[in-house]
Amino acid sequence: MAEEYKTAGDAEHQHNEPHVIPLSYYFGVFGVLVVGTILTYFVATIDLDGIFPGANTLVALLIAFFKMACVVLIFMHVRWSSRLIWLTAIAGFFWLAIMFAFTMQDYLTRSAGVFTG
Amino acid sequence: MATHADTLHDQHYHPPGLQHQFEDMGQQQESASIGMWMFLVQEIMFFGGLFTVYLVFRSKYPMAFAAGSNHLDAFWGGLNTLVLIVSSLTMALAVRSAQLGKRNAQVIFIVVTMIFGTVFLGVKAIEYTAKYKEGIVPVAGLNMKTAKTASTYPNARELSTRTGDTQDPRESLNTGVSEADTHETGEHSYYNPTGTFVWTDASLATQAEQGGYLTESEKIGYYSNGELNVNKFRDKVRIFFWIYFVMTGLHALHMIIGLGVMAWLLWKAWMGTYSAQYYSPVEMSGLYWHFVDIVWIFLFPLLYLLGRHFLHGGGH
Repeated sequence: MAEEYKTAGDAEHQHNEPHVIPLSYYFGVFGVLVVGTILTYFVATIDLDGIFPGANTLVALLIAFFKMACVVLIFMHVRWSSRLIWLTAIAGFFWLAIMFAFTMQDYLTRSAGVFTG
Repeated sequence: MATHADTLHDQHYHPPGLQHQFEDMGQQQESASIGMWMFLVQEIMFFGGLFTVYLVFRSKYPMAFAAGSNHLDAFWGGLNTLVLIVSSLTMALAVRSAQLGKRNAQVIFIVVTMIFGTVFLGVKAIEYTAKYKEGIVPVAGLNMKTAKTASTYPNARELSTRTGDTQDPRESLNTGVSEADTHETGEHSYYNPTGTFVWTDASLATQAEQGGYLTESEKIGYYSNGELNVNKFRDKVRIFFWIYFVMTGLHALHMIIGLGVMAWLLWKAWMGTYSAQYYSPVEMSGLYWHFVDIVWIFLFPLLYLLGRHFLHGGGH
């Protein structure tokens, strides 16, 4: 069994063969995740508010998004999946972004006194 | 190889594991993947609602969130992140073993995944217990109830020195324990007769106040009569701990369900059900496991690390 991996384009032609991904991909992602976790911790202890307020959170989220992308693309095989899977995965995050954006455009534009918790 | 579904049907041949409504294994696999991804999308929205709550309240009360977050143990949180990453790797390798038709490797990787999943829950239990003993579970009455018992938790020392001026007088009335009793207990006492949420440290808010970066909504939220009120600040920290417990609790519930799925998968793999031709259940369980890992990848920095950089400002 050849260790071939497919792109979305030729997925239709080779349906019956499981696309087995080389071990190096898995260990590569594992390395990225471990390094990303350690990096997240140390960046969090450095005060980046001098750059702009919230810079720490932005850096933490950028690392988290990168880690997520690695897991989704390699561990979850999306890189080798059909376009429909890509669309479904992206749609999930798109709807999440809509929820965040619509909620915050409300809360952030209210005067401070209206919503006091 | 080019197998034609037509000829297979003529011969009334079905590969093992092929349901009759599908043309071939590829189509069946594709359908299962899409179904699983649709489920994961609704899971994204499920957790997404909680992330939205987090977003709203953190944007309102950043200092209260930072104070609460700094009290979580980043060592346990980080360790659990690594534990989950290892379990994700072994899960991915279990799927790979199934694709290659290696039954023994598959069984071993599923067992290792389950072990790491259990370690995660064990660490979570240690953390929850510490919160219970420190009196920072947000539900009134669900914390360790004690009037005079000594506690070795670091938060307890902080509390005892300020018990006199911040303790709600009603709580003394409820139990009949007088103020004098609490002072007699000495430095290391943890005074919480009703098991309520206890928080007296408003140093981060003071630091922000002095630094001039307390927001308008925070001033409304923390102040009473124009001054910082530690009890009002405590209530905002309590919101953080609500969010912490609901989000990590829901995540832990997903881990428990995941372990159930793994136990079933282990049984099927042990029986030799899966092969290079039919391994969908392993792959779908893997998708679920990785999704739960991804949720934690976001929970770790957003809950455990959000206020760490304030500690370097000399506030403590």
